[in-house]
Amino acid sequence: MPLYDLLLRAYPRRFRATFAAGMRHAFAEERERACARGGRALAAFWIATIVETIWFGMAERRRRRPRTLSTETAASLLTVDWRDAWRASIAAPGVTAIAVLSLALGIGANTAMFAIVDGLVLKRLPVHEPERLAVLDDGEWTNPIWEQIRARQDRLFQGAFAWSNSRFDLSERGATDFADGSYASGRIFDVLGVRAALGRTFTEADDVRGGGPDGPVAVISDRFWQTRFGGAADVIGRRLTLQRVPFTIIGVLPASFFGADVGRTSDVIVPLADEAIVNGKESALDQRLAWWLNIMMRLKPGQTIDRAAAALRGEQPQIREATLPQGRNPKNLSGYLADPFALAPAATGRSPLRTRYQEPLLIMMAIVASVLLIACANIANLMLARATARRPELSLRHALGASRARLARQLLAESLILAAAGTFLGIFVAHWLSALLLRQLGTPGSVTLDLSYDARMIAFTTVTGLAATLIFGVGPALGAARLAAAEALKEQGRGATGDSRMGIRNALIVAQVALSLTLTVGAALFVRTFVSLNSFPLGFDPEPLMVAGVNTRRSPAAPQARGDLYERLREAAAAVPGVASASVSELTPVSGNAWNGFVQSGPPDLTHRQRMVWINKVSPGWFETYGMRLIAGRDFDGRDRAGAEQALVVNESFVRRFFNGENPIGREVHGDLEGPEDQRSYRLVGVVNDAVYRSARAGLNPAVYMPLAQSSAWTSSISLTVRATAGPPAQLAHAVGDALLRVEPRASFTFRPITMQIRGSLAQERLLALLSGFFGALALLLAALGLYGVTAYSVNRRRAEIGVRIALGADAAGVVRLVLRRVLLLVGVGVAAGTGLALWAGRFIGSLLYNLGPRDPISLIAAAGVLTAVGLLAGWLPARRAAHADPMRVLRDA
Amino acid sequence: MSKTDLTPKPLKPAAFHILLALGDGQSYGYAMMQAVREQSDGQIPLRTGSFYRHLANLIEAGLIAETAPPRGPVDARRGAYYGLTPRGARALAAEKQRLADLVESLGGLRRASRKGTA
Repeated sequence: MPLYDLLLRAYPRRFRATFAAGMRHAFAEERERACARGGRALAAFWIATIVETIWFGMAERRRRRPRTLSTETAASLLTVDWRDAWRASIAAPGVTAIAVLSLALGIGANTAMFAIVDGLVLKRLPVHEPERLAVLDDGEWTNPIWEQIRARQDRLFQGAFAWSNSRFDLSERGATDFADGSYASGRIFDVLGVRAALGRTFTEADDVRGGGPDGPVAVISDRFWQTRFGGAADVIGRRLTLQRVPFTIIGVLPASFFGADVGRTSDVIVPLADEAIVNGKESALDQRLAWWLNIMMRLKPGQTIDRAAAALRGEQPQIREATLPQGRNPKNLSGYLADPFALAPAATGRSPLRTRYQEPLLIMMAIVASVLLIACANIANLMLARATARRPELSLRHALGASRARLARQLLAESLILAAAGTFLGIFVAHWLSALLLRQLGTPGSVTLDLSYDARMIAFTTVTGLAATLIFGVGPALGAARLAAAEALKEQGRGATGDSRMGIRNALIVAQVALSLTLTVGAALFVRTFVSLNSFPLGFDPEPLMVAGVNTRRSPAAPQARGDLYERLREAAAAVPGVASASVSELTPVSGNAWNGFVQSGPPDLTHRQRMVWINKVSPGWFETYGMRLIAGRDFDGRDRAGAEQALVVNESFVRRFFNGENPIGREVHGDLEGPEDQRSYRLVGVVNDAVYRSARAGLNPAVYMPLAQSSAWTSSISLTVRATAGPPAQLAHAVGDALLRVEPRASFTFRPITMQIRGSLAQERLLALLSGFFGALALLLAALGLYGVTAYSVNRRRAEIGVRIALGADAAGVVRLVLRRVLLLVGVGVAAGTGLALWAGRFIGSLLYNLGPRDPISLIAAAGVLTAVGLLAGWLPARRAAHADPMRVLRDA
Repeated sequence: MSKTDLTPKPLKPAAFHILLALGDGQSYGYAMMQAVREQSDGQIPLRTGSFYRHLANLIEAGLIAETAPPRGPVDARRGAYYGLTPRGARALAAEKQRLADLVESLGGLRRASRKGTA
């Protein structure tokens, strides 16, 4: 409403006094209606309302006032002849089109980035009174801790709940079919104030071990309901298989609700206690060292977050005492729950995505803002040129009685029309661009954000559009205000001398070049970072590899027998035609999962951190499947059984760090590789080449490989890697899946080419390289356009002088040199300023680069070179035209 | 710019519909907008700004005047209530008559043309 009140000021005061109340009411009702029809209708409504209110308000002012020049007062500041401004805009379609297009791109890019920042960082959770929500800060918690807090929730807060994100396999047999979901404690919907759109949500009565009165129940998202069940009305009561366990659907959540994590939609939410049914003996519910739950609470009315935290801290000793892990070395437990509990405001929810992308997003905001500035500088230049060309017309108007203020307003109105058109188009650009960006943030479908237009978005777009108008519209308007009638008329057509306004135009060009250089340097840095990470030698051969995630949780095989089962699965996969080899490992490289331990052998002066090594357990033949080289010793084989001496294969980095590069085969290694309580000795049997373990950015680090067959405990999930003989490995998924199912029909499988994992690990770098590259190129193009325009204009104004020079015997090359000298001066000043700007801006992007300083001289020099070349080309074209002009004709026309 | 006589000059469609919305008695702004939308089947696309512009014109022409709100509880947010002036009622009746005559004469035309072709 405040925005509408502001808009109403466009009307004369008397009109407002009579009608404002009714108009406000009608506006409110109409907005409700638009709101009910969704985000797009609301955006259209706002745009129409803004345009219409200003339009009619202005018309009302003009109509109710006798039209004489003397009454042009401050009150009529906004009164202009819009039709006139419109005619002027379409009189120069080329200029208008370029201006509108570059504005649309600039404003669109800014709006798109803001939409993502808004959705990810600023928007509040779509729940009841989100400002009263808080999270138990920093990390995740165990279920025993949660149960202690749960028992105290009514005393300490208004209510609390715990949740953990998970992926559920929906398939009843065979290949997996995953959905994003979560476990949540019984009061989640009660605490958040979310009601089911259909059926009911679950409550504490459902969150009991073994299932509530209706057995295991599930609540599904609106999206899931639409895509999986076609929005069927009878979905309530239907069966849903999660991890091969039947659940009953009891409710559908409202479309606006996505869960407590921003950027991710939980399609299936089940009570926390049902985790025991899904995971059976491996349930985390009673584990005191499984940190997997997020805890959120709603504060009591009037309760501050500090008071709530203090109350919780008051109970911390009892909570600690009741949940202390059993049978552990007390020395290792001193840190257990030692830090005082802290609460953080959670009105905007929690978002790992936000944490990961906050910095890149802010940098991208800065990039697109710079592009908009460059576009504005460009348009300002165009408008100045046009205002100069229109001087005779403007002087005539002035001579006929139009005040300077009125002429200035007229030019400003033309800018406003451009800005409005650019903003309008920009909204479409933004819509398309933000959807594109969102796809780049994660694997398809995994990232969901609410990007609909809200008041903040509308305000942002409007303010951006208006700010742009001010930036590029004020210059020409001021120019018009300085107009002296007689002088301008006199000057008409004859322009052998310079133009005072070239000063502003040159300054604008310098600013454009400087900003473009900064963006080009940024683009060069981000692209080089991505390229060097993307081409980083991984140490293994990812192209022919496909990873099958095998889950045998539902298999009747006893945990001790799982080793045999995995070996039979491996043999079945290896026998499939087209498979060169197959092997099993606990982890796969670049998968996001990692496991580390500490080595006690080696030089005594190593720090604790330097003693850390990455660990994987692999089957014989794993190195061969991955295309890794055995440098010394042997691969694992049948000798490395349970009960035999513990064998170890290490990589070259390991040998360098712990054995100073000496031959380590046969040597003994001490360390706690299987957990902090488990010191053992291992016999080193082989050395393989270095390979990337976590990500290219993390680089090559000491790693050890242990034989899978010597595992003391077999987990229910394992990775089976298949190497294809030829062609893309994904085509093997079907045949391999069939072969695996013949061995164990109750196991479930996920297939993923390893190249996809690698691609995913570089998502952030790819996004930055892509966007900075695109906008850097756009900035370059805009700067070139600007430079071309200014040079063409100044050459045109000097055509009489150039004609005289040619007539007096100057050759073409001399004329080109004359023009280019000026261009070079402008570019040179711009590059110098831009270099300073780039050096300063570099400090913000250092942490996102790889193997490059933010002040990397090669990138700087290359960018400066490209800019100078582009600038010279943009200047050369008009220079050549001038040099080849016929002096006779030029002099006759001038 | 007051007009002294009211020769049945055709009213703008929007103005006619607004007068028509007050034909059954007084009403307030938003209800009138809704009524116009319904009567015209959405043919007259009035938005808040354009509606109030027409309303201001009609008040200035003396066809509509602000009236006291109806008795009983009234939502103050709705703004003022309006009704037809005697002159407005006459203008509405005249416009209705004009349109009826127009339809009549169109009917005559159609009959004549049919006779012609027969």
